[in-house]
Amino acid sequence: MSEKVKVTIDGITIDVDPGTSILNAARQIGGDIVPPAMCYYSKLEGSGGKCRTCLVKVSKGSEKDPRPMPKLVASCRTGVMDGMEVQNITSPEVIEARKGVVEILLINHPLDCPVCDQAGECHLQDLSYEHGVANTRYEFERRTFERIDIGDKIQLHMTRCILCYRCVYVADQLTDGRQHGILGRGDASEISTYIEKAIDNDFSGNVIDVCPVGALTDRTFRFKNRVWFTKPVDAHRDCPTCKGKVTLWYKGEEVLRVTGRKDQFGEVEDFICNTCRFETKNTSDWVIEGPRQIAHTSVISANHYEMLPLPVIKQNQALIEANKIEFDRASKI
Amino acid sequence: MRKENNLSHLISHISNLVKMARKLLLEHINVPGINTLDVYRQHGGYRSVEKALKTMSPDAIVEEVKTSGLRGRGGAGFPTGMKWSFLAKPEGKERYLVCNADESEPGTFKDRYLMTYIPHALIEGMIVSSFALGARTSYIYVRGEMMPQIRILEKAIAEAKNAGFLGKNILGTGYDLELYVQPGGGAYICGEETALIESLEGKRGNPRIKPPFPAISGVWACPTVVNNVETIAAVVPIINDGGEEYAKIGIGRSTGTKLISASGNLNKPGVYEIDLGVPVEEFIYSDEYCGGIANGKRLKAVVAGGSSVPILPANLSLKTVNGESRLMSYESLSDGGFQSGSMLGSGGFIAFDEDQCIVRNTWNFARFYHHESCGQCSPCREGTGWMEKVLHRLEYGHGKMSDIDLLVDVARKIEGNTICPLGDAAAWPVASAIRHFRDEFEWHVTNPKEAMDRNYGLAKYADPLPKLEEVSQ
Amino acid sequence: MLSVTEQKDIEFSSSLISQFDEIVTRYPAGKQKAGLLPILHLVQAEYGWVSPEAMDKVAAYLEIKPIEVYEVATFYTMFFLRPQGKFVLEVCRTGPCCLVGAEKIMDHIEKTLGVKEGEVTADGKFSWRGVECLAACGMAPVLQIGPEYTFYENLTEQSVDQLINDLKNKI
Repeated sequence: MSEKVKVTIDGITIDVDPGTSILNAARQIGGDIVPPAMCYYSKLEGSGGKCRTCLVKVSKGSEKDPRPMPKLVASCRTGVMDGMEVQNITSPEVIEARKGVVEILLINHPLDCPVCDQAGECHLQDLSYEHGVANTRYEFERRTFERIDIGDKIQLHMTRCILCYRCVYVADQLTDGRQHGILGRGDASEISTYIEKAIDNDFSGNVIDVCPVGALTDRTFRFKNRVWFTKPVDAHRDCPTCKGKVTLWYKGEEVLRVTGRKDQFGEVEDFICNTCRFETKNTSDWVIEGPRQIAHTSVISANHYEMLPLPVIKQNQALIEANKIEFDRASKI
Repeated sequence: MRKENNLSHLISHISNLVKMARKLLLEHINVPGINTLDVYRQHGGYRSVEKALKTMSPDAIVEEVKTSGLRGRGGAGFPTGMKWSFLAKPEGKERYLVCNADESEPGTFKDRYLMTYIPHALIEGMIVSSFALGARTSYIYVRGEMMPQIRILEKAIAEAKNAGFLGKNILGTGYDLELYVQPGGGAYICGEETALIESLEGKRGNPRIKPPFPAISGVWACPTVVNNVETIAAVVPIINDGGEEYAKIGIGRSTGTKLISASGNLNKPGVYEIDLGVPVEEFIYSDEYCGGIANGKRLKAVVAGGSSVPILPANLSLKTVNGESRLMSYESLSDGGFQSGSMLGSGGFIAFDEDQCIVRNTWNFARFYHHESCGQCSPCREGTGWMEKVLHRLEYGHGKMSDIDLLVDVARKIEGNTICPLGDAAAWPVASAIRHFRDEFEWHVTNPKEAMDRNYGLAKYADPLPKLEEVSQ
Repeated sequence: MLSVTEQKDIEFSSSLISQFDEIVTRYPAGKQKAGLLPILHLVQAEYGWVSPEAMDKVAAYLEIKPIEVYEVATFYTMFFLRPQGKFVLEVCRTGPCCLVGAEKIMDHIEKTLGVKEGEVTADGKFSWRGVECLAACGMAPVLQIGPEYTFYENLTEQSVDQLINDLKNKI
């Protein structure tokens, strides 16, 4: 293994393996300096670069070539160089651009969070709370599509889609016969099978877990409950198809849904099979491990867990300045 | 009206259109039968292939192109020799040269013209360039709408192959090259080099995220160079006469000749080969070139390098803010940055007469970019549509004063934040139109009825249109 | 949302298949997917449009998944996903053409044919649509007619009338 390279993100320096992306270096640091990612998914090869929410400023290219990069770059697809200096939340330019991307992502997104099963664990919802403004300046009719059931387990609600392509990568990389894809072009693009087909594959249910918004949802969980009223519990079973490590979402004694175990960045630790996800909903099927730790940013944690862990940024004066609001909130709690 | 395949008629048409002092690419374009290999060779065609393959090493050709100072003619103006020298040469991997003939930047039609009338110039350039890069298979990616040009090129390739300029062991030198024409399917975005590569591979034309650049990983993950038609054709005179001779033409870092596609309200629209550095004023008004504004009208604005470059009002088109004469060169046209300058781009020179509505045209261009956005990254996918809708509202008399600043803001949110330059290309025309013609946008808001009724000309055809016979000669 | 039109019972002719065979020789082994665009052009020239059934057959020929063909066919504007008139008049509607009256020409075509953009005339002979820049701005206004994409330049209302008459007699 070659030498580690040094990268500084928002004033915090870390040594990472060569070839690491800026985003992943930031994730190794953790805390508030991690850029949001709506399309990048570390477990899906080729993903990222599309949503532009993870844009950061490279103020110093590397030790060898210290020139700054002329434009903001997508941190998920830009590799670190030794001596690189990156600004994320310390750059007003980045914050402004991200605000712009959020506004643009929202112009055609329906405001149907009250009836959306994803609400509470929706990345776009989180992002708009953090970076959005209360009003939209978009005064035209929003793009709408009809809801389609792709098979009896998954519902596609294209109106909510932000075209992150993650579900396409899942189908390409986890299943052997992709049947859905991106059709059309520009803002008329849509996820579709073109000719109505059921997506039927052992691993097709993972498109639900990777979807950052409520475009692909679990029909077996549809309107059953709001996620923040359910209790996540880690469990496993001996599954012949997948690793069988899941999170069960309980309401009382009943398992309402089964998902992969999502980490603090919203990514599943292991993809799970459809049998585990849709067919195995009795507690007796599972070995219970204990309550699932939920990221402090999630609304789900609000009712269940003690207090927000203090962000890493506390070590750095510049970051403390940049995050006054966050700090106030944390200290109030 | 003419059909394009009516050749004799066409050639007389061309001789009217193309009159100029020095020509490197279009010198023999008026010669009857120049589209055939025999006539092309009688006029010095394929000399550069003999010279390059028999007497020069690939590296020497790259050096010659570097010396010439040739810059990419597709729009970005990146030095060609430097681009070539970036090409990775790993053992055991094919390398590819792909010619970008996906000409679709509004205002640009020089490549169509070149391929139609003098196809062997491109093929000759492809052979020399492929040899320089060590490519054994090369493709000319032609936009699908140019089916007649595809046929012309296929015929020319067959002729060249018959004469031993393509195929195995070219001219007995041991160099093998296969050249194919690949049609596109109707997508402006495929003019972006990585989208073109995706399209060539039979996929959607979604631009790739760079790095890696095509020079490292292009077609089928092999090192690839993508060059514009005119760039490749310009390699021929560079090899024939030497890079130093080529560099003597032009001005400063804008060396050589450039094909300019002139359109809009001009007396003589058409393709002109100019020495870089000709004053814009001379280009518009002299009889050698465009012959002035059609129908005796006055010049209102110029888009100098294809629809994506900033529009300039007449005064800034002819002179820089320092009062210097504006020249047709990469540097002079961009003098003043985007505040008061523009870009040479692909050389798509669009002239607007005094009756043209800037708001309508800006809406038209915004519609174009909305239509052509691939939809991969969010700022471009959503932002282009937003701008189009706001501009449509302004143009059709429902606009608000705040719309103007909204447009500036949306354009700013797209610019620089997208995967490929299409986002910039969509934002620049809108931002520049408002920068230089804000009063006209405001007029559309304050006088909506008049804007609808009169519309500076075209919406209701209230003003007399230019007489088409005169325009076409 | 994309609507799907079906086409029953199609079989590619042997001459069409032999053209496909030639096309795939242009690419390295295993990269035959690159032949997708040229093959779709051939299919459209044959049938006037590309149906899901035809796309499935193309996918089978190229040994790729049908969705890969749908993705491509819906991305590029030249491929018609439903039947069109025998002659499709495609008029350039972008800036430089509009400066010299392309919008007027489109209005005239709409009036003359009596159908709106994208619709087919009752006799099935004509349809028309505005398309983006055709790279012929110096000869504007222009239109093209597939499958060979013949060009008609410097259009006037009279020349458009003449063209439509000629085409009517051609059938």
